[in-house]
Amino acid sequence: MKNNSIIGIYKDEDVFLEAIDELLANNIRIYDVFSPFPLHGIWEKLKLKTRMPYATFIYGAIGTASVFAFLYWTSVVNYPLKFGGKPLNTLSFIIIMFVLTIFVGTLFTFLTYFTIEKMYPGKKVKLPEPRTTSDRFAILIEKKPEMDEKELEKITGLLEKTGAIEIKEQEVDY
Amino acid sequence: MENKLKVSPGFIVLVIVLIVYGLVTVIIGFATGDTVRTWANLLLNNYYFMSIAIGAAFWLAIQYITQSGWSAQFLRIPMAMSDYLIVSFVLWIMMFFGLHHLYEWTHLDVVANDHILMHKQPYLNVPFFAVRYIVFFGLWIYLTQRLKKLSLLEDKHGGLIYFKKMEFNSKVFIFVFAITFSLFSIDWLMSLDPHWYSTIYAVKKFIMAFYHGATIITAIVIILYFMGYFPEMNKTHFLDFSRYIFALSIIWGYMWISQYLLIWYANIPEETIYYVPRVMTEYKPYFYAELIINWLFPFLFLMWNRIAKNPYALLFAVVVLMCGQWVELYMSIMPNTTSLHKITYIEFGTFIGFLGVFAGVVAWSLSRMNLIPKNHPYLIESVKHHG
Repeated sequence: MKNNSIIGIYKDEDVFLEAIDELLANNIRIYDVFSPFPLHGIWEKLKLKTRMPYATFIYGAIGTASVFAFLYWTSVVNYPLKFGGKPLNTLSFIIIMFVLTIFVGTLFTFLTYFTIEKMYPGKKVKLPEPRTTSDRFAILIEKKPEMDEKELEKITGLLEKTGAIEIKEQEVDY
Repeated sequence: MENKLKVSPGFIVLVIVLIVYGLVTVIIGFATGDTVRTWANLLLNNYYFMSIAIGAAFWLAIQYITQSGWSAQFLRIPMAMSDYLIVSFVLWIMMFFGLHHLYEWTHLDVVANDHILMHKQPYLNVPFFAVRYIVFFGLWIYLTQRLKKLSLLEDKHGGLIYFKKMEFNSKVFIFVFAITFSLFSIDWLMSLDPHWYSTIYAVKKFIMAFYHGATIITAIVIILYFMGYFPEMNKTHFLDFSRYIFALSIIWGYMWISQYLLIWYANIPEETIYYVPRVMTEYKPYFYAELIINWLFPFLFLMWNRIAKNPYALLFAVVVLMCGQWVELYMSIMPNTTSLHKITYIEFGTFIGFLGVFAGVVAWSLSRMNLIPKNHPYLIESVKHHG
């Protein structure tokens, strides 16, 4: 998505998190944030939502059921081979079911994630601020056409007040 | 700030009623001729609450060793629970009068005609058995009481020195606990069937103690939270408690399947004998119930984030898991002692009686110390805990 954004760049994690609180308290809509590592509490602050865990659960459940069906078919229906006098349909399926549940859940979650994010091997990174991959934190605020001079000044003023080391305006595309 | 538990008179009456109910049940059990069954139930409940108390002490030690911040305000609850060990030591003395009814190896005439039992006799004999019991309980009581004493001194004087001492003491405790609790489980539960042995048996019981110790800590914390004793507690604390239960349920399930599957695969008669009465007789429903209640239920129930943060849902999970631990111990003890699958007033009453003793001891202990360790170095981190 292409738009014009105001970007505030921060140096410290705690200052950055407090800045988000301050901006939200002043009713400024944050378009996105960038951080070199996952941050505690940012999920709740930005009120982000995801249905990914449900997808993982469904993949896992399908994995368990289909692996059980396969084991049942191979060792009970298609080729019932008795060994050691043990029953054909047993609890020993559990290990393979357990391992393949994890595998199916992980693999399909990963594929879903890539599909949603339109990622593929060899894709060029489009970062509004490349330094967010090493030691900088960035807040993106969308600059809408209907915003007047006063509002823009308020935004930059707040970014400066909350300790942004750099404020810039540029077209972002990602 | 004084912040001690105020025990209401109603609670004291309830505890006395529960204990009397238990006592009456035991007396009726002996009077009506169900001697072996009553002794087996006494063993079950003695072990049940002792393992909860020692599991809570292990939980406490883990918090100190990992220097956990989130749990700092709840540490007095496992301390109070480990006080039950002293009472358990006294209650356990009665088990020595029932040894003859439960343990085959105490019958000297049987041992004399049995090669395997003769071979095990240097370890499995009553005097050494009693010595081990005293040594193990002595070590546990000494180490847990030392932890509690240091924590109370920290309340009084403050400073980091007590925290460091407690961390060292916790390290000593987990090593002592690992060895002694394993041997204790072998002594009192595995030797019910003296011909059979398994090296993973003690590990499973150890995980059981840790698992159910953590669930009971959760229950007590939530009850006290509802009574208004932890004003600083928030959703993330509940989430951390349920993470403990969730993770331990998986480890427990892993131990269960390790125990069962290796014996199943190897298919050696002296090993499979353990599962013969458990899978092939009327105990079969309990065999599956044990796995479903203790592993599948918490695994699926606590997986949902919203449920894991809800104190009512957590309390429900704890109650179900208390039944789960009971079923597990029932399955360890009953097929080798009474061989009856009966759950009537004796099973119910003895449990109620011991529950009364446990609740009374924990409440009494909590009413004598600050509920929140006020000079704990991580207390602020615990209060501000998020995520």
